[in-house]
Amino acid sequence: MANSKPVLGIDDLPMWASMERGQLELQRCNDCGSFRYPPAPVCPKCLSVVAAWTPVSGKGKILSWVVFHRKYFDNHPPPYNSVAVELEEGPIIVTQLEGPEPAGSWIGQPVVLGYGEHTGRMRHHACLAAKG
Amino acid sequence: MQRNLAKVASVVGVGHTDWRGDYVRTRNGEKPRDCIGYGADAFKVALADAGLQVSDIDGLIVGPTTPYERIGEVLGIDARWGGQADAMLGIIQACMAIRSGLAEVVALVYGNNQRSGGTNYGGDNAAGGGSFLSYIYHAPWGFTSQGALYAMMFRRYMELSGLTSAELGEVAVAQRMGSSLNPNAIMQERITVEDYLQSAFVCEPLHLFDYCLINDGGVALIVAEAGRAKHIRPDPVLIHAVGRYDLNKGATSLEPRLTNFYLPAQQKVAEQVFNMAGIGPRDVSSLQVYDSFSCHIPLALEGYGYCGVGEAGKFMRESGISLQGQLPVNTSGGHLSESYMQGWNHQIEAVRQLRGQCGARQVADCRYVHYSSDVAGKAVSILYGR
Repeated sequence: MANSKPVLGIDDLPMWASMERGQLELQRCNDCGSFRYPPAPVCPKCLSVVAAWTPVSGKGKILSWVVFHRKYFDNHPPPYNSVAVELEEGPIIVTQLEGPEPAGSWIGQPVVLGYGEHTGRMRHHACLAAKG
Repeated sequence: MQRNLAKVASVVGVGHTDWRGDYVRTRNGEKPRDCIGYGADAFKVALADAGLQVSDIDGLIVGPTTPYERIGEVLGIDARWGGQADAMLGIIQACMAIRSGLAEVVALVYGNNQRSGGTNYGGDNAAGGGSFLSYIYHAPWGFTSQGALYAMMFRRYMELSGLTSAELGEVAVAQRMGSSLNPNAIMQERITVEDYLQSAFVCEPLHLFDYCLINDGGVALIVAEAGRAKHIRPDPVLIHAVGRYDLNKGATSLEPRLTNFYLPAQQKVAEQVFNMAGIGPRDVSSLQVYDSFSCHIPLALEGYGYCGVGEAGKFMRESGISLQGQLPVNTSGGHLSESYMQGWNHQIEAVRQLRGQCGARQVADCRYVHYSSDVAGKAVSILYGR
């Protein structure tokens, strides 16, 4: 077994650098304005190659969640959760909910991204946000 | 000129290795064969089942876990057409090669030593990451394994549809009924919904019994041009339709999993294959579904119109998917209980059901068997019939 590691393709590096600064940035297409995730060399909506790394608000809502009961990585002792969050800019990301958890269903719960160190690397996580 | 692939080819031979025996041997630390050895063993059985000689084979398709050239070398097969494909694409490619005259009798050979070779489907170096970025991209948040991808998808489905864990448990229970009547199956002890609910979670909401086995083995199929097939054996199993539709947009961000549960892909394939075969879901005697995880079954039931969208839980509980139900599904036990041969063993079960060779688990008056897979949003169907 080993620690989890990120995929670091040439398009991913600026995104990981932005998390080191505590503010997730994603590519926003200069031609059609859409955000894309994961980072990619062209816009999947219009094939434009021109994009600007743009901070996201960090606001989103939970689409789904799971709880791992089996150990897959040394640096992720179970039980732990993973959540799929739809950011208000459009992209869906996978992260982990930290802090208080919803009592019932997690789906639709508003969250806001935070940042913290994990195994020597800064990465995002989600925290429940006040509704409304 | 007929342009589609309906009734172009038939399956005339099936073969597989000793899944049960090798499961015990590999659990004891033995390595009975490598992937090539398993494939070779299965090929010999399939060739004998068809009553053919190696010299009759003019096409060779080899599964993704087995090197193509080496299989051809080991089995002594030079082919005038060949390639590498998974089970579903392999059948379609065989039909395409036969339709176009590139081959007439195609051998499909698959071998996998995933148990004794220590293949990991999650964690560091998760298998398939080179082909499917979603298998490895979210690892920094602990999100790994194909089971977790389906758990994330199915949790949302359960919340939106109201399908309960007990209803999902119908899949594992029904398939274990089939495997208890299948002498080739690795898991033969029946379970109840209570057993299912008490089994441990792997990635919640999925329990241990929702996950496929991981075992060694091989499968081979012989597919021949339909006219010639009638001279090879009296009961060839005809391929009435094939179809495929791929959801690639947003795949790594899980968009097609989480927003529509792959239903649009399955619905497009349903239209394609049922039109090609000239039948509908009501004509299907048995459904075989690629079941890495139990939740493939309710999604396929909805995607192909066996029940309404959002009604799979009720259908499984009331109409039934076991051998005693309205639509027997994965009658051999499937990946959950017979053998995890990545879709290949489902083709054998379809053929055996249509030949009437299934003994205590035989579906009465079996006319059409529908095979479906939706791995990573690549929806494929094959309709077999007599």
